[in-house]
Amino acid sequence: MTSATATSEILRPPLVEGGKTYGQITDDICAPMEKRPPLGWFLAFSVSGLALLWGVIMVTDLIWTGVGTWGLNKTVSWGFAITNFVFWVGIGHAGTLISAILLLFRQKWRTAINRSAEAMTIFAVMCAGLNPLLHMGRIWRGLYWLFPYYPNTMGPLFVNFRSPLLWDVFAVSTYLTISLLFWYMGLLPDLATAAAHAKGAIRRFIFRTLSLGWSGSARTWMQHEKASLLLAGLATPLVLSVHTVVSMDFACALVPGWHSTIFPPFFVTGAIFSGFAMVLTLLTLSREFLGFKDYITLKHIDAMCKVTLFTSMIVGLAYATEALIGWYSANTFERFFFINSAVGPYHYCYWTMIFCNVVTPQFLWFKKIRRTPAVVFVISIFINIGMWLERFNIIVIGLHRDFLTSSWTMYKPTYVDWGLFIGLFGLFFTCFLLFSRSLPMIAMSEIKHVLSSEKHGGKQHA
Amino acid sequence: MPPLKEKKIETALKTGLTRSDFLKTMGVGLAAMGGACDWRWPHAKAVPEIDRPEGVTPGVARWQASTCGGCSASCGALVKIRDGRPIKMEGLKKHPLSQGGLCARGQATLLDLYDSGRLRDPLVNAKKVTWADWDTMAVAKLKALHGKPVRLVTQTLPNPSLNAAIAEFLSAYPSVKHVIYDPISSSSILDAHQKTHGKRVLPHYQFANAKVIVAFDADFLGTWISPVEFAADWAKGRVPTSGSPKMSRHIHFESRVSLTGSNADLRVPIKPSEEYSTISSVAIRLAKILGVPVPHVGEVSTSASSESLDQAAQILAQHKKESLVVSGSSDLSVQILVNWMNSVLGNYGNTLDIQKPSQVRAGNDAAMEEFVKEMASGKIAGVIFVEANPVYDHPLGEKLAKALAKTEWTVSLSNRLDETSSHVSFVAADSHLLESWGDAEPVPGVITVVQPAIRPLFNSRPAMETLLSLAGKTQSAYDFVRSYWKTHVFPKQKSSHNFDHFWDTSLESGFAVYQAPALSHSSFSSVSLLGLKNSRPQTKNGEFEFVSYAPVNLYDGHQAFNPWLEELPDPVTRVSWENYVQFSPADAKRLGITEGRMVRVSDGKKSFEIPAQVQLGMPEGVVAAALGYGRITADDIAANYPITKIKFFPIEIAKLYTANVYPFLNSNSVSVAAGSEMHPLAKIQRYDFQKDPYLQESRHVVREETLEEYAKNAAGGGSSSDSSSGDGLWSKHDYPGHKWTMSVDLNRCSGCAACVIACQAENNIPTVGKSEVRKSRDMYWLRIDRYYSGSETNAPANPTVAFQPMTCQQCDNAPCETVCPVAATTHSSEGINMQTYNRCVGTRYCENNCPYKVRRFNWFDYERDNAVQDLVLNPDVTVRQRGVMEKCNFCYQRIRDAEITAQIENRKIHDGEVQTACVQSCPTQALSFGDINDSNSQVAAKAVSSRAYRALEELGVKPSIYYQTKVRNVKS
Repeated sequence: MTSATATSEILRPPLVEGGKTYGQITDDICAPMEKRPPLGWFLAFSVSGLALLWGVIMVTDLIWTGVGTWGLNKTVSWGFAITNFVFWVGIGHAGTLISAILLLFRQKWRTAINRSAEAMTIFAVMCAGLNPLLHMGRIWRGLYWLFPYYPNTMGPLFVNFRSPLLWDVFAVSTYLTISLLFWYMGLLPDLATAAAHAKGAIRRFIFRTLSLGWSGSARTWMQHEKASLLLAGLATPLVLSVHTVVSMDFACALVPGWHSTIFPPFFVTGAIFSGFAMVLTLLTLSREFLGFKDYITLKHIDAMCKVTLFTSMIVGLAYATEALIGWYSANTFERFFFINSAVGPYHYCYWTMIFCNVVTPQFLWFKKIRRTPAVVFVISIFINIGMWLERFNIIVIGLHRDFLTSSWTMYKPTYVDWGLFIGLFGLFFTCFLLFSRSLPMIAMSEIKHVLSSEKHGGKQHA
Repeated sequence: MPPLKEKKIETALKTGLTRSDFLKTMGVGLAAMGGACDWRWPHAKAVPEIDRPEGVTPGVARWQASTCGGCSASCGALVKIRDGRPIKMEGLKKHPLSQGGLCARGQATLLDLYDSGRLRDPLVNAKKVTWADWDTMAVAKLKALHGKPVRLVTQTLPNPSLNAAIAEFLSAYPSVKHVIYDPISSSSILDAHQKTHGKRVLPHYQFANAKVIVAFDADFLGTWISPVEFAADWAKGRVPTSGSPKMSRHIHFESRVSLTGSNADLRVPIKPSEEYSTISSVAIRLAKILGVPVPHVGEVSTSASSESLDQAAQILAQHKKESLVVSGSSDLSVQILVNWMNSVLGNYGNTLDIQKPSQVRAGNDAAMEEFVKEMASGKIAGVIFVEANPVYDHPLGEKLAKALAKTEWTVSLSNRLDETSSHVSFVAADSHLLESWGDAEPVPGVITVVQPAIRPLFNSRPAMETLLSLAGKTQSAYDFVRSYWKTHVFPKQKSSHNFDHFWDTSLESGFAVYQAPALSHSSFSSVSLLGLKNSRPQTKNGEFEFVSYAPVNLYDGHQAFNPWLEELPDPVTRVSWENYVQFSPADAKRLGITEGRMVRVSDGKKSFEIPAQVQLGMPEGVVAAALGYGRITADDIAANYPITKIKFFPIEIAKLYTANVYPFLNSNSVSVAAGSEMHPLAKIQRYDFQKDPYLQESRHVVREETLEEYAKNAAGGGSSSDSSSGDGLWSKHDYPGHKWTMSVDLNRCSGCAACVIACQAENNIPTVGKSEVRKSRDMYWLRIDRYYSGSETNAPANPTVAFQPMTCQQCDNAPCETVCPVAATTHSSEGINMQTYNRCVGTRYCENNCPYKVRRFNWFDYERDNAVQDLVLNPDVTVRQRGVMEKCNFCYQRIRDAEITAQIENRKIHDGEVQTACVQSCPTQALSFGDINDSNSQVAAKAVSSRAYRALEELGVKPSIYYQTKVRNVKS
């Protein structure tokens, strides 16, 4: 979908269905913000709110009593928290990919989904960032030491720039900053539209303020476009760099199954894979329940399924490569890691992962399936599970039986581990649900832009 | 020399600010602060001592020689006293018997001192009284009982002064008779010598002279008689000599898997009922080879292979006068045969001595049984237990407890309200050995002093003083011991002519040696060989033979309230906190029992129920369980850990499933029924093999070779090389001063775990409790890994065993250092991987990245809310907060101490001057510590020996601990 021809209008199905006018688009997209939410929203909000509350209680216990409330031990000292961290950072990647890379590639179909994908990125990175903080033994000290500042009053010691964990701090905080800016930049024209559309004075005031006095002049638009493009340019390398840095937490370590040069590309693809799966989960739900079927069309779902299928195959290839190199290395520890994954005590996690990440996406070869949102939703859930397990497998299977057999042991998550896990989903969905009621979920201005280009015979396709 | 970094800081500080400037600024600042806010320090008064005790400097430790009271072996001990509190027990270097080491239990007696469960006052009928009242009432009672039979019950007391005090007491009250028993008895050895040599004595075994050791169920490295001395002697023969290498050969027949058996070159599992047959078979073979008359032993059949029996007999015959046969059996016939073998081999006078016999076992099982019978029949009017707890640690304890209720007057001199003292009317709060004066003479001619290291913490009194005051002599223990030495010891010795001088030097060195007269005895009487028979019958079908044993950690159970020992895992099974029924894998499979299944063991009359443990190397048809457990209220210790000040959510506290096995001490056969409940054991090591279960590839962390292979390799030169890794990314560390290194000789290491407790005591390592151990969260900085041959999926029925002390390897390319984001773990210029607790935020990345898994994380606040127990903490070592990582730092406080001393004295540190806690305590001197930059040091020599290797050196982390390959004296 790169170059357009005059016949594209005939060949391509429209990106927005139902023959909408600009006014209808504004009405449709502002509707969830202005109307009383349906019962389904309240249900979903109470479920996610409860999950969040449970998470808060568990985290309070964690900080109050100690990290010992988790199931970690002397051999496996990372478990759910770091798994969650990698999982949520990965989720974020799809958002950036959709909004930034697809913007650079002028993919018009992204317009319907980029707003929610970006929101997803921000919430996911928030969820991710909490994990490394909460997993610290002394969180009250961690914040102090990890962010170096000057003057350093604590003597000659500075942070250790050789530690991948420190790189994480920089990578994730940069990522959050850029994503937030990019998202907000995109929101500006829509906030102005929302302000114009709003009935109440307070609402209008809030949106007007948030839109930073957006005037809609050609000059403003031009600057907005430029800034968006610049931020997209800045965000694009982050898609690669953030998860590369995250993968170095493992690749730079000595642990068998971690110490692997394939990790950076493997993690980045995995991140995009899991991110797309999560976007699919969210969009199949929101188009169903928020009435966005005309905007998030089957075409969108189809396109994303293709990306998912493609990345799933890369991930599958990575699994195979890892196993092959493990065998080829003739290194006892490496070989054992893979055998132990497949037949060891956590084999069910390993095979579930293979099933979810390699087998299930194969159904997406069929167009019929790609265009049946219910099935796509189920597949996306499988992939979410599989990708979470992938990180769990790398961390826990790698650690629980490493070099010295005398220290081999098992990791069993406790209710506090699960509490954090559930709480993060609670946080994510609570944020997402609130977002869906308070801000335009679809980039109105961009949709209108696409609409106009379609109406004009697609001549503006770059 | 201080590390270079520190010097730089010092000079930096010196340039900017002078001392007076600093004080001026501070003064102004403080004044300003004082004016600005109404904030005050909490009030506390520090009053200087008007007469400062001589030689005492606050903050500087004092060392005092004494005697260990952990068991009757009475090893030499060195007590570290800091600001009036003993904080560490160590071995006494020059002690002629223990030779510098001290076992785990001995070192842990320190924590017994600070046991808040100790008795704090003397009691009469469970009411607190003053000592004066107690004495008056007790003497009145004794006078009232005049003429009636009264018994004084003690364990073996190798303590001359205490025995003299008892003699005083006995002479004051002639109707009192003294009964001696031992919970872990060697009565049969004494009885056998009565029969064979005409004297009821326990030989003084000298393993150092034995080139061949054949042992039958004698755990002489772990618990048998005097394990520290025996281990030290045993280790001397275990290091292959240079040239054409030779080492001692150790064959072990046993009916369970003991620490000693695990260290043997050849270990043969036999049933207890076969012990007599096995030893007879060896005896018959030996007689044939030596051409002496074959003793009449009756019909024998044993499952031990004739190969092993032949081997034992042959090698014994080849080593006349330099071999040793020992047995821990309670069967008189077995012991007579042992004596016969030692006698025909000419070992008496060479490897075992009955002219100066050991005095650490004098108990008489028959006399004790007779006493309980008399008690039960109500004949006894009064009984006094002196530091003895037979209600718990005697098979007839329950009977005794019932009889105590009927006895007119019952007294116990005890340090806590234990099983026995809770049944008596008069309880004298007994002082701990570290609070008392005393002495001990384990072997004639070696007499050691016991001197107090602290004033009694509670209103307690040493047993000696209590007995003396009952005898009507109000004399302090100090005066009594001193006068005893003046009249009894001083005249025998020749080193000094002045008693005061002799006394002072003895106190300083901790012991005195004199020439004791040799005890005369008859030569081996062949009459004793008549009527030998197997007293242990075969079991009925479906029943199991039962073995009870003293475990290495709790021994006889008198230290069962000691958290260090409770948590210390058994060296072989690696289980802590509980006892368990051991099954052979075949039996377990047959009965469908898995580890942790509760099983009921019953001998027909009584039964106990504890979890099962499946033990490789156990003979089939035999179950074993450890003594020393199942004490009342010992569960509270487990429930106390971990303590959190405020519990937001409940923390799992595991109940202990233990049983007292003493009532089954003499049970031959038992029936076993598997219960329905599962209670997984608190195992510190979960995987037992060096080979993984799927690829069957060994990780070679413990390297082993046979003596032949060693001979070949030694000729070829060193096996350790630095070629394993390239130069790496980072520039190499520079070690301009010292480079601290440790060497571990796996041939000497017996796995006794003395070092583990030494480390725990030195470094304030918390105990964490059963539930935490079960979650693999033990806090040991130093542990002893135990590996079996084979793998989980391919386990041999009788594996060979290897022990490996594992602690921080202080890698030059430490993987933990690079990954810490906050630089809390850094490399010192002396090669030590330092941990800065203040900086640590607890990401645990270092722990993940450590290939040796020696880092330990404080999952909770393990600090104890126990004001008494906290007195044991070493002020030189930080008590860690929750959320920080900790690990071995080669006892850096000790290194600094030595460095400062050397600097003050303007000299270099001598090799061996710095000793880490583990190195100091090791009975077998398996560990050595020093500066590898000093080419004359012991560690430098060991690092280039042909046996040297480093664990996982192929990873390129360049560890600083050099292991010495384990050489087994077996045919390859």
